[in-house]
Amino acid sequence: MDEFEEELRQAFERVPAPPSLKRNLMAERARRRNGKILHFPLQWQRLAASVALAAVLTGGATWGGLAWRQREERRKGEAARDQVMLALRLTSHALDHMNRQLAEHGREQQ
Amino acid sequence: MTHDWQPDFEQLVEEHQSMVFSLALRMTGDRGLAEEIAQDVFMEMDRHLGKLESAAHATFWLRRVAMNRSADALRRRRVRRVDLWVEIEEQHGLRAETAARPLGASMGARLEALLATLPEAQRAALVLRYQEDLTPEEIASTLAAPVATVKSHLQRGLKLLRARAASHLKEYVRERSSRDSRLMGGVSSDGRV
Repeated sequence: MDEFEEELRQAFERVPAPPSLKRNLMAERARRRNGKILHFPLQWQRLAASVALAAVLTGGATWGGLAWRQREERRKGEAARDQVMLALRLTSHALDHMNRQLAEHGREQQ
Repeated sequence: MTHDWQPDFEQLVEEHQSMVFSLALRMTGDRGLAEEIAQDVFMEMDRHLGKLESAAHATFWLRRVAMNRSADALRRRRVRRVDLWVEIEEQHGLRAETAARPLGASMGARLEALLATLPEAQRAALVLRYQEDLTPEEIASTLAAPVATVKSHLQRGLKLLRARAASHLKEYVRERSSRDSRLMGGVSSDGRV
């Protein structure tokens, strides 16, 4: 380190902070702490309200989802039953037709 | 992670207020703004008190936040175009200011005035090097910059400061000799005015 750098080091010694800095800091900190204490119940109320709202929304969504699923299952069940009934009607119709043909064929042979 | 060190806000303020204030003052050149920055830095430290792991960590954290806040303040000042006037004053008013200083004014005060004329990055590196006595590696870590960049800022800043100091010193010597000769010229050889 040369002479100039040594001069720089001496020139750049720390400057004492104004006394008002610490005073203002401690006052501001105390003010914020008091503010926090005053706002504490309000913050809890807000938190409780948020939790309650979240619970209501979640419950509503779950109930809605379950109801929708039940409706959907019933609709699918009815559609399946209709298809089975249709298949049975078609089979019955085909059997009737075959029966009629067999009866006609028997009469012709006699 | 748990740590045994229990930070005491008031003690930390007492211990580091001069460091934080000096960093902000040398970066901004404005006492009022430096006090505001120092206040912001310590209030932020209060919010992050639980995250400080040791006394060394607190010092490092304070230096880093003080430099960041000072840079932010300079940026805001530039945006407001006030910096234009500061630059004009720095470039054209410095000569008048240094000339207006009494001849007995310390070299330190002149160096401080010259520091304000350097680019921000070089100023930051020099302040951390010569005020805080940090190594280039520590400066790089504080400023979150590559070590090579910090070394370059230190070299360039020092060179610029040395050149400006030399030119001002010459001016100072010339000024003093012209004053001396004026004084001598007004006095006759037998000492009568």
